[in-house]
Amino acid sequence: MPSDAVLILGGGPAGLEAARSVADLGGRAILVEQRDTLGGTPDAAQYAALTHGMRPAEEAIGELVGAVTGHPGVEVRLRSGLIGFGGGAGDFTATLATPEGERQVQAGAVIVATGFQHFDPGRETQMYGYYEFEDVITLVDAERMLKTGTFVTPSTGQAPERVCFIQCVGSRDRQIGNEYCSKVCCGISSKQAIEIRQLVPRAKVFIFYIDMRMYGYWENELYWPAQEQHKVQYIRGIVTEILRKGDRLLIRGEDTTMGRPMEVLMDVVILAVGMEPSAGTRTVARLLGVRQNKYGFIEVPHGSLVPVATSAPGIFVAGAAAGPADLNDSMSMAGAAALRAVAAIRRATAR
Amino acid sequence: MALAVLDRYAEVPWEDKERLFEEIKADPRFADYLYGCYECGICVAACPSARFYDFSPRRIAQALAREDVALVYEQIQDDIWECSQCFSCLRCPRKNNPGGLVTIMRETAVRNGLRSAKQALEGYSRIIYKIMSTGTQVSPDMIRADAFPDWGPTAQETGDNLEVWRKALPPETLHTTSMSWDVDPKTLTELYLIWHLTGVMDMIKEIDEGLHMILLDVMEEKLEDAGYPVS
Amino acid sequence: MPISLPVVQSAPAPRGRVFTRSAPDPAEDVREKVLELEARGEWIVPRVPGPWVDVTTKYGRTKKIPLQHTWHHKSCGQCGHIPGYSTAIFWLHRTLGLDYTDPRDQTSCTAWNYYASATSNAAAQAAVALRNFAAAHETGYFPQIHCGTSYGHYKEVRAELVHHPELRARVRDIMAKLGKPMVMPEEIVHYSEWVYAVRDRLAARRIHDLSDITVTVHPACHYYKLVQEDAIYDPDIYGGQRTAVVSAVAHTLGARVADYSTWFDCCGFGFRHILVQRDFTRSFAVQRKIETMKEEANPDVTLTHDTGCVTTLDKSQFAPRAHGKTASIPVMSEAQFAALAMGAHPYRVCQLHWHAADYRPLLEKMGIDWRERWREFEDDCERIKKGEKAFLTWEDVDA
Repeated sequence: MPSDAVLILGGGPAGLEAARSVADLGGRAILVEQRDTLGGTPDAAQYAALTHGMRPAEEAIGELVGAVTGHPGVEVRLRSGLIGFGGGAGDFTATLATPEGERQVQAGAVIVATGFQHFDPGRETQMYGYYEFEDVITLVDAERMLKTGTFVTPSTGQAPERVCFIQCVGSRDRQIGNEYCSKVCCGISSKQAIEIRQLVPRAKVFIFYIDMRMYGYWENELYWPAQEQHKVQYIRGIVTEILRKGDRLLIRGEDTTMGRPMEVLMDVVILAVGMEPSAGTRTVARLLGVRQNKYGFIEVPHGSLVPVATSAPGIFVAGAAAGPADLNDSMSMAGAAALRAVAAIRRATAR
Repeated sequence: MALAVLDRYAEVPWEDKERLFEEIKADPRFADYLYGCYECGICVAACPSARFYDFSPRRIAQALAREDVALVYEQIQDDIWECSQCFSCLRCPRKNNPGGLVTIMRETAVRNGLRSAKQALEGYSRIIYKIMSTGTQVSPDMIRADAFPDWGPTAQETGDNLEVWRKALPPETLHTTSMSWDVDPKTLTELYLIWHLTGVMDMIKEIDEGLHMILLDVMEEKLEDAGYPVS
Repeated sequence: MPISLPVVQSAPAPRGRVFTRSAPDPAEDVREKVLELEARGEWIVPRVPGPWVDVTTKYGRTKKIPLQHTWHHKSCGQCGHIPGYSTAIFWLHRTLGLDYTDPRDQTSCTAWNYYASATSNAAAQAAVALRNFAAAHETGYFPQIHCGTSYGHYKEVRAELVHHPELRARVRDIMAKLGKPMVMPEEIVHYSEWVYAVRDRLAARRIHDLSDITVTVHPACHYYKLVQEDAIYDPDIYGGQRTAVVSAVAHTLGARVADYSTWFDCCGFGFRHILVQRDFTRSFAVQRKIETMKEEANPDVTLTHDTGCVTTLDKSQFAPRAHGKTASIPVMSEAQFAALAMGAHPYRVCQLHWHAADYRPLLEKMGIDWRERWREFEDDCERIKKGEKAFLTWEDVDA
């Protein structure tokens, strides 16, 4: 039976914005989220400040959540997940596992907003010792610390003197298979570098990179302020090994600008881990029968001018479920997906 | 045309450099060893030779990727013998194999009898002789104080007691002094045949004619006895 | 004289961090391709004989390690210059009652020469490998490879043969002329993987207490850097983040395994360098490895699992004394160390008299009376000199 509901899978930024947009257009959204709160990864991972304008994540995400909670056009189902799916565009039937047991919902269109997961540094090709050394942390660990308004060397609890970031961890790597760029890590690292310099003015902060991905306004809003105002040191050359030396960490890389091997002691090393498809993205892709690209993200047909399309009519994608995305991307895609979903439903109803 | 401003081998004809370059590229393994390079420097960071010499696996990969014929020629003359073939550079995130590229470049240098290759392998010929003729790279009787004075007093002690010490080894195959273990003569014949059939003897001829003649002497008779006509 | 320095232990693993592999693994499994080629009739793939032990490799795949019925592919540098290493490997097999054969129909892999001088080529190297595999197959025993370089090189050759039909064709021609079949074993097994697989059995026969012995481990580049996916990784050892062989053995034997900041560094062997450009090798070995180990871990012994590494680390320590560098650490294979711990004779079996760095303090600390053992060995040598004995035998050793 044709339905006018838009089923949105995932309650992170993309899903929230999609739900709000659908409701704003006068449509009906069913928002399904597996956790017991909305907010997605920025909430689960306790992000501190968003790279975008350094706005506190909690506040920004809170705004997105607030726009949807209690909205008459949005039915929110928490602690729920997709377990079955059938039908065609305009007339889908989804089976959900909910706290009240299995539920069937009808939908005219679906938006996949199941997002990403952070790369696990244990699979990294280089020897970073994340599972050996407490002072080797990821961007996510750092973000959690920054949220508490402090930044310390984890093993000692003291303020660090030397901190470095290593870019492209789990991205741009043919050995792991993630041959893409995760897009946001250069920006996030630069942002965190600035925050650390602000919190610990005596700390020297380095970023070891292959290329600095500073798209558009990130260049003048993040990159130059980091270098010029906050004296963050960008060194071109990726670290290959991290080992313990005395009570500090020894990192080993090549300073390619100077053309020689380098070994430097650090107190804290932050791995700029990339994005991979989340377990939810993989599961949902399989259940919906939409094509995934070779990395496991939802495939947007190549060369399509519809960046939210999937291989199945009536099913759209928004945010990092389709590949590395920053917040802007997620918000934009969410709006576009909502638009197309509602338009498709109305065309079908009009016939 | 050379991208470099300084061309150290300007007097060498371009065709010679190009021919060597094409030979390297034509090796069947080349496509497995070189993809793109984003100059991350991991290979240099991991490389032991980079710490001791002015050697850079990154520059090797880059020169070949850029098809910089003149620079590759410089490297094949000056740099490739510094690589210690440890393959730490296989950490490359693009799966390049700079050590493998060096291997191909070395084979090319040897096949073409480049003087730099001959120089690099000077003093090494008795080892080539040992491996080619006995099927073992080193032998107990090579441990002598005059050959390895820098290994300390054990070199002298070992040399003095070699015969007895080799007999004082429980494994029956190790009672040898001129080869590392007792290799069956039939096995050696098979090895010689492999060297002949794969063109290795021709490579040795380019590098060291004297060595080549000695080896041929040792091998030819055994091969003909065993019924493998060599010429 | 050993310097009294505090021993630096690895810090305990960070709280709450346990690595479990969650995503699908990327590298192709070349062993599957090997079996595909067998199905197409291109070569014979001798299977690992039972009983075998399943071990885990880098991406969580299983590798089969045969316990017995093994064809010992010897290492030239090992048998030639540090024969206690080879003898200890055989002794361990004999002590555990696991049968093996020590063939004469075996050439060196010739990779030392290949990596040193490139006076060879892909076809010759592949033919040498396959000739050895065919020789093993003819005996019905399964190859166990003693040298790290042979092992790494043969894996390289396996990948080249799998991916290049024209190379296979060339090698087939050569094998035909030799009257030998094309053979590629189901697994390429390094002896240190066997030692890893039987480490509990070795520990059960340990007679010396090693709890006071500090060990540093040097993992061989050619074991785990060449064809990385095939090396053993174990979640109990460094959280599965570093290759587990040797470390696992030392740990199971009850020794203290200490970390140091140049763990992943090459030893500096260099293949050609150690023979004709030795300043590189000894500078690297002593300054990057030995001195760092001494300063940071002050080990009683350093263990490794490759011929070149033992040779480099052991023989490089003397010359630098001319520059005032006196750090000295005894060097041996984990096979020799395990054998010593199990009561093997330091001279008749471990043949430590071929080693350069002073191992006597280690033996004393382990409670081994090396003076008495040396007297016994000198007596053996006397008897040989006088012609009363032709050779030292396995029976002499078991006595």
